Amino acid sequence: MKKFGLLLTTFLLFLGSVLAQTVTITGKVIDDKGAGISNASVQIKGAKGGTVTSKDGSFTIKVPQNAKALIISSVNFTPQEVSIVGKSTVNVSLATYDASLDEVVVTGYGAAKKRTELVGQVTVVKAKDVQDRPSANVIDALQGRVAGVQVFTSSGEPSATPSVRINGVGSLSGSNTPLYILDGIPVSPGSIVSMNPEDYESINVLTDASSTSIYGARAANGVIVFTSKRGSAQKTRINVTAQYSQSNLISNTQNFFNNMMNAEELGKFWVASGYQTQAQVNTLRTNFPNDTRWADVYYLPNRPTEQVDVNISGGSGKTTYFVSGSYFYQQGLAYRSDFKRYTLRSNINTTINNWASMGLLLTGSYDTRQLNPYGTNNTNRGLALLAPPFYTPIDPLTGQNYTSTPIPGWNRFHPNYLTDNVRSVGENMQLTPQAYIQLSPIKNLTIKTTAGMEAYDYNVNSQTLPSFANSVGNGNVSRAHQREVSRTVNTVIDYKFKIKENHDFSVMVGNEFIDNTDRNFSASSAGLTDNRLLLLSAGPTQRNVAESYTGYAFTSFFGRLSYGFKNKYLIDLTTRQDQSSRFGVDNRTANFYSVGAVWKVKKEKFLDNARWINELNVKGSYGTSGNSAIGNFTSQGLVGTNIYGGASGLGIASPGNSSLGWEQQGMMSLSINGRIFKHYSIVLEYYDRQTSNMLVSVPYPQTTGFANINGNVGKMQNRGWNVTLNADYGGKDWSFSPYVNFNYNHNKITELFQDRNYWIQANTGVLWAVDKPVSYVYPIFAGVDPANGNATWFLPDPNPNNVANTIKDPTKVTSTFSATALQQNTGLDRYPPFAGGFGFQASYKGFYTQWDFSFVSGKYLINNDRFFYENPGQFPGFNQFRTVNNFWQKAGDQTQFPRVGVQFTQFDSRLIEDASFLRAKAIQFGYDFNRIIKKNNVITGLKAFVIARNLFTFTNYQGPDPEVDSNIGLGTNPNTRQVSFGIDITF
Amino acid sequence: MNKLFKYSVLGLTAISLTTSCTKQLDLFPEDSIELTQSFKTMADANSWDLGNYNRFRGIQYGSYAIYADVQSDMVNATLDYGNRNGNPHRWGQSFLSDDQTLRPIWAGYYNVIANANLAIQNLSSVTAPTVADKALINRYLGNAYFTRAFCYSELVKRFAKAYNPTSANSDLGVPLVLTYNVASRPARATMKAVYDQILADINLAKTNLATVNPLIGATQFNRNTPIALEARVRLMMQDWAGAHTAAETILAAGTYPLATTQAIINAMWKTDASNEVIYRPAVSAPNELPATIGGVYLGLIPATGRFAPDFLPSQWVVDSFENADFRKLVYFAQLNLTIQGSAVNSVWCVNKFPGNPALFTTANTNYAHQPRVFTVSELFLISAEAGARSGNPALVTQATTRYNQLRAARGVSAFAGSDLFAAVRNERFREMAFQGERLWDLKRWNMPCVRSSPQNLSIILTNPAASFHQLNIAANNDQFTWGIPSWDIIANPNLVQNPGW
Repeated sequence: MKKFGLLLTTFLLFLGSVLAQTVTITGKVIDDKGAGISNASVQIKGAKGGTVTSKDGSFTIKVPQNAKALIISSVNFTPQEVSIVGKSTVNVSLATYDASLDEVVVTGYGAAKKRTELVGQVTVVKAKDVQDRPSANVIDALQGRVAGVQVFTSSGEPSATPSVRINGVGSLSGSNTPLYILDGIPVSPGSIVSMNPEDYESINVLTDASSTSIYGARAANGVIVFTSKRGSAQKTRINVTAQYSQSNLISNTQNFFNNMMNAEELGKFWVASGYQTQAQVNTLRTNFPNDTRWADVYYLPNRPTEQVDVNISGGSGKTTYFVSGSYFYQQGLAYRSDFKRYTLRSNINTTINNWASMGLLLTGSYDTRQLNPYGTNNTNRGLALLAPPFYTPIDPLTGQNYTSTPIPGWNRFHPNYLTDNVRSVGENMQLTPQAYIQLSPIKNLTIKTTAGMEAYDYNVNSQTLPSFANSVGNGNVSRAHQREVSRTVNTVIDYKFKIKENHDFSVMVGNEFIDNTDRNFSASSAGLTDNRLLLLSAGPTQRNVAESYTGYAFTSFFGRLSYGFKNKYLIDLTTRQDQSSRFGVDNRTANFYSVGAVWKVKKEKFLDNARWINELNVKGSYGTSGNSAIGNFTSQGLVGTNIYGGASGLGIASPGNSSLGWEQQGMMSLSINGRIFKHYSIVLEYYDRQTSNMLVSVPYPQTTGFANINGNVGKMQNRGWNVTLNADYGGKDWSFSPYVNFNYNHNKITELFQDRNYWIQANTGVLWAVDKPVSYVYPIFAGVDPANGNATWFLPDPNPNNVANTIKDPTKVTSTFSATALQQNTGLDRYPPFAGGFGFQASYKGFYTQWDFSFVSGKYLINNDRFFYENPGQFPGFNQFRTVNNFWQKAGDQTQFPRVGVQFTQFDSRLIEDASFLRAKAIQFGYDFNRIIKKNNVITGLKAFVIARNLFTFTNYQGPDPEVDSNIGLGTNPNTRQVSFGIDITF
Repeated sequence: MNKLFKYSVLGLTAISLTTSCTKQLDLFPEDSIELTQSFKTMADANSWDLGNYNRFRGIQYGSYAIYADVQSDMVNATLDYGNRNGNPHRWGQSFLSDDQTLRPIWAGYYNVIANANLAIQNLSSVTAPTVADKALINRYLGNAYFTRAFCYSELVKRFAKAYNPTSANSDLGVPLVLTYNVASRPARATMKAVYDQILADINLAKTNLATVNPLIGATQFNRNTPIALEARVRLMMQDWAGAHTAAETILAAGTYPLATTQAIINAMWKTDASNEVIYRPAVSAPNELPATIGGVYLGLIPATGRFAPDFLPSQWVVDSFENADFRKLVYFAQLNLTIQGSAVNSVWCVNKFPGNPALFTTANTNYAHQPRVFTVSELFLISAEAGARSGNPALVTQATTRYNQLRAARGVSAFAGSDLFAAVRNERFREMAFQGERLWDLKRWNMPCVRSSPQNLSIILTNPAASFHQLNIAANNDQFTWGIPSWDIIANPNLVQNPGW
């Protein structure tokens, strides 16, 4: 090609010098709004010489008579060739250059592809769009950003790891978490929490089989590829970002807390419901003349978050570098809840010579984390609101919080005292190094070997101080150590070649080996007598040790063949074979493949005239993949140890299943990706995921010795649509880029096990029924009978095999509750079918703003809190919601709750609440001082911004937080609302 | 660059690609071994036997005792009980077959049975080179048979009606699982089949353990343990002669003298003195702690030294012990409580299981005790009850003797009335109070469960009275027999639920 071009040029030059006759061409170069473009380059095609346009975009140029075309180009515009044959005036309109066309997208093994050459469906999230959040975890900010990707943060703990599902729910008993790849090696979701969110360049979400099947038995839940930042040889810069924020309860949680009765109300209720006599209440209130709002005791306001990130990047010659360090500290709203993290990253890439290059990507972090230890079901936090308001946490003798005396009446220590005396701090040291060497021994052939490791040490140091009032002079300590190391080595060979001009091929083959070892040990001792001496060795009694081990290994081969015809029709074929220690001995090898194709319609002649279409690609793919999150030794029938009389005994620990294997998935997707009217980009995708050989914890009668045994049974499908719409508008001083995306997913179980047409997950309220989505199953409440005050429920279909039907016949009700006999399908989906996000970025001069909303619709959650807070008969002596006053007292009463003596709240349909929500995930305002900074200043960039996370939430859910990703909401440590101020300085 | 070099790089890479992955994929856990590898040596057999003891310990005390006792007529729930163990206490609608405590009790017995079945199936294939080894294998087998018989006797006591000799051929017992097979979906066997199996296993245990000598406070099964179990089982079967014979076999040998002073009785319950014990599991802190009972009856508040029990004994329970009775101040104590933040002093509490300080892991009690699984006092009561109900004058006379001997040992007077059976019932209630037997005895005796005379109405739950302090349950109430856990009813289509559940 090059040679040909040189020949042509020479030829033209020769012609030019022979003929040497010129004509003058005048014209104007304008942008798509008609404004002249100054300093645009005007070149004669195939000849020397050229000119630039003047301020208004006009130009005059002398060209040889035989010249046929001019090439007009300008920075930020797409170059254009314009014919001058028979013309003396040419006006040229240049289109704004779309840099994204040249964007390189990292999808899997082998060389990165240009976005325009992608066959698979990949959504690229530029990290800058999700950074600067007052949250430790970048995944939280992905909520509502990518169609089909549901992200939920179920807890307000600063170190919480969000749950992620892509395109529905693929597994019933196994994991639904996607595979996370960082710069080519797999990492666990927890590792993302340990890393600096500012270190990523991009986050690519791989959703269709064409892009995921190459990851084989780990890919069924989709793949998220994180790419860390690299330096650039062109510019050296130092960037500092600092942020401070405050966290508070979201208003939904406040509303929830406000439902509790005050002292006056609770006393009245106790008398009205016959729980106590007026005299008893009077005595109690005389003894305890307080009215405490316990939510204010168990949750703290205005908890701080501090974030500092410094990075230096640049390069010279053949070496580039990106080095960053960060500090993050956040306190949770509950006592003893915080996260403090330090990170360091160094990415160095160098070209050794013309056939070899290498890189070293090191990241390490150290963090300490405290989790509020009093869980959902614990009256020291999760259910602390049960505390009657009569009692007070303030000791009247001191005017301070009670310390070593339990709060009188409530009989529990003040949470602050517990925090001080019963401690547990986790300490995580993480190292994720990787290195690669890339060789190009012959042209178009690259061989890249990458070795990486994800390793962490996690220590938990727990202490009950010797001074703790419950056990004065007898403290205890324990220390647990965990080391998990995953090693990955892969070698990938890429070869590209052309056959004739129009046939582009690229072939990739590779292999990969992954092995994981997870070791834990712990030790404890007791009998400590001195707060100053808290090492294990200081405890003379109850010395104890424990150790555990688990691990897995994968050996894999894979390959891809890509073929492109005229860069118009592209086909990708991939295949992979995985062998894993996890699979049962009868079932060790897994094979996967995919086929994908793209038709770049815009390149067809018939669309030449459709100027409004800028890009139009039709994609289709089908492929298989697996879910191997089936546990490490689950396939083996195992005998474990126990102790009797100081000697070690044996007993059956797990039954095993020697044919246990991966869950299989076949996924088909069809999509249209396009850009129209220059400003609008659209992605419309339909997918069909079929899961078979599902990993199910199959219920067994307990007479076998086991309640569940894992097996590959059953089938499920997820079909849905992903829609993404983006727009970009802008002018000299302003820009406006709105976006909206959503996913509709229909989930349906198509086959179960043991020839059953349904299975109910005991005590979860979750039903698996053939031909239905995973649904909630509970007795359906039919109201309180006004005649006698009994609670009533609808009788379900008399045939127990028809539990998946819903029957609400007002003439067939019962007042005898039975959780099992009355349960029937409520028709409410366990997994929300509709989710998405919308928002915009806008700027005017130096001002910029970004608004991100996420929403989930059709989400339901069992509000288990109400079982505790609206159940005075079950939880006598505890505080309750005000609503319980609405109970039946005499014939004719139309009430929410039945008469006293009948349990007010049962686990029935009343507790299943619509937890759909719309959340202002992030709202940001900033000012960019770039315009007023002199170019030669030391400071080259300065931004200041305010960002609010979870500023408001619209939901009908009555519990503390609708975002909980579970079947049950109970004692949730809720998500927090944060307002943050930050500055960003570049040198 | 040298072409040769280039191609050698290429070649080496290709080789490394195909050879770098020879790493073992056969990974095994390190804290457990494969089932198929676990019955090879005498050491394996010994370990399985120890495992059997460990699991046997796991099904004593804790909810295995508490759950039936709080359902019985002995206790009242305090205002601070917070619905802990409230479902059986209130009976009726609150106590259902998906109860989250019923299920683990059922599963617990069957898990022990599954392991015993594995041992019974595989122990004989263990290489046992010497005569002594073979004797040991037989002993391990005897232990497994004994364990299986014990589990079925406890299951059938809870999850089936009381044994009725006239209808035992058709009454439903519990599913009999006699081999380890996760694919089995057994139906419920008849009461007769279950009891026949229990007796068959007891006989095998008796044979295999015939040479294991008994010991007061034994922590190993011995020749007396299957006999003690047989006495229990035959009493449940209303086989008065058989129960009497089994009980007397041990009593006649006089191996286990009754404790006759308050000090010793106190030591038996407070510090785990071994008196009267035929078998009890070995326990030790911190690794071999058993499930406990005392917490629900005491609820020590360590910071104040006061108590906040979930359940208090009714006044009639305390009053049924004469003041002279050595057991009264061993089983009960008048303690200072904090209920709903208010001090209430000198309330009678169940203090039979306060925790043995030798087993504490912190400064405070963990209520741990060595479970007294088989004791000689129970055999006195079995002999007395079987004799009294036999109608055989010789046995009645011996029953009176046994009754009087036990009474004398506890510091109270001999039999004076006319209804020996009623006297034995009351004595059995007193002697074995809060050991988890009361409800099953009422069922066996076909007596109602009537709560009465609570100690202090102001600190107990009274509303609705019929669920709490004025509970009155007829003897034929279905809930005297626990429901089969709904999990199994659903997972095993061959099972039939008990009526009323």
